[in-house]
Amino acid sequence: MYSISPAHAIGLVGGLAALPLALIALRFHPRWRSVPGTVQAAAVLMAVSGGVHLALIPHHLATQPLTSLLFLLNGIAFITLSATFTWKYWRLASAALLITTVLGYLVYVAIGFEGPDQVGIATKLVEVTALGLALVPVRGEIGRTHRSWRWATLGVAMPMLLVITGATVWIVDLARPDPRHVHAGALLQATNPFPTPPQVEAADRLYAATKTAILPYEDWHQAWAAGYRPGGSTTLPSTHWINQRYVDAGYVMDPQRPQGLVYANTHHGPVLLGAMFQMKGLNQFGPDPGGPITRWHQHENICITPFGFEFSLMTPYATCAIGAVDISASPMLHVWIVDNPRGGPFAVDIDPTVVAALDRS
Amino acid sequence: MERTATTSRPEMVFVLVLLQSIFWMVAGISSIPFALGGELHMAALGLVSLLFALFVCLVGIGVLWRRRWARRTALGLELACLLGSALELGLPIGANHGPVALLTNVVVPAAVIWLLWGRTTRSVFS
Repeated sequence: MYSISPAHAIGLVGGLAALPLALIALRFHPRWRSVPGTVQAAAVLMAVSGGVHLALIPHHLATQPLTSLLFLLNGIAFITLSATFTWKYWRLASAALLITTVLGYLVYVAIGFEGPDQVGIATKLVEVTALGLALVPVRGEIGRTHRSWRWATLGVAMPMLLVITGATVWIVDLARPDPRHVHAGALLQATNPFPTPPQVEAADRLYAATKTAILPYEDWHQAWAAGYRPGGSTTLPSTHWINQRYVDAGYVMDPQRPQGLVYANTHHGPVLLGAMFQMKGLNQFGPDPGGPITRWHQHENICITPFGFEFSLMTPYATCAIGAVDISASPMLHVWIVDNPRGGPFAVDIDPTVVAALDRS
Repeated sequence: MERTATTSRPEMVFVLVLLQSIFWMVAGISSIPFALGGELHMAALGLVSLLFALFVCLVGIGVLWRRRWARRTALGLELACLLGSALELGLPIGANHGPVALLTNVVVPAAVIWLLWGRTTRSVFS
């Protein structure tokens, strides 16, 4: 959802190429200056959407001929409507085409024919904007303006389409992440698909060394004395405790000096769950002795609030709640010293049932 | 197609500001699951976002009605958005630089400023 699918990149080029072409070509329309700016802007945006759809045809032609045909019809319809803005039924036809196109995309995404990506979401934003511009009544319009149904359609369609689009692409992205993404936008390090025997041994050695090194921190007072501090709210089920000195020093996967410790916040105090190694810089994945067992992950597109270091996820529209900032966290590797049935000792996450059980014990 | 006698820039701004208002509404709603998970600050920020979305929608209606206060507020708001986006995109914090982020955080605010700027546009606001 937050990246550009290689198959769709050409669509972005098509849309960007269509923008200046439409701006120049439509100015030669004899009645260009007789229509409101809203109509002019909607016509240009529909030409952009048409450009995106037409550019996507070659890549889909071999594998998805029906989709290619739909792209062709869609592209032609958009470009035709962008040039026929003086037609009596232009608003009605434009609104119908725009709404159908957005809903069609959502059906494609929901049933898995397309993966949600930046080109798709950006195109839908352009189309919803074009819909708003095509429908919004302008002060001083002369003739039959149908203001009531235009306001009604605008007021319902724009919010509904944006909310449904956002919800659909978000749910699909979380439910069906691509192979290198797991929960909450964590990007996994690329590795070989299956671990070799030496990699299994190396992972076992790393686990044993780390567990031995951090066992003293089961007493959280010792962790505090060593410089570890809660890096977030302690009202959550678990909290990462960070040693800023080790973070700044940039130790790389040193079992004696892990950058973080993870504690479950139980009713009888913090209970040590494991360690966290973290690299200093973004996109710099650390050494991977265990291959696919010990692959690092980088959290991307998280919204972090400086008030108490809490986080949420960036929306598909690239916005965070007011006061939160979109960031990525540099690559990290967890080593869970408690039993973690969902994912094992190096999983991205600890099984929440484990944390809940510790709290109950 | 019907003709118009005056500028339609306020109507264009209304559509763009309504779009932004919905973005903030979605951001506010999206923080609810995290608030339910125990993130108290995120609950407050989510509520602020929802109220802000409502405020932005009202500013859009004010622009539509050619109110001077609404034009000024919208300009201030969009300038703040652009400044925040410039910081977010410029600092090495790993913020998203994709087309959607550029569209919502840079292109839309810049378009609103462009549409509201200038003496001619200002003259239609009372």
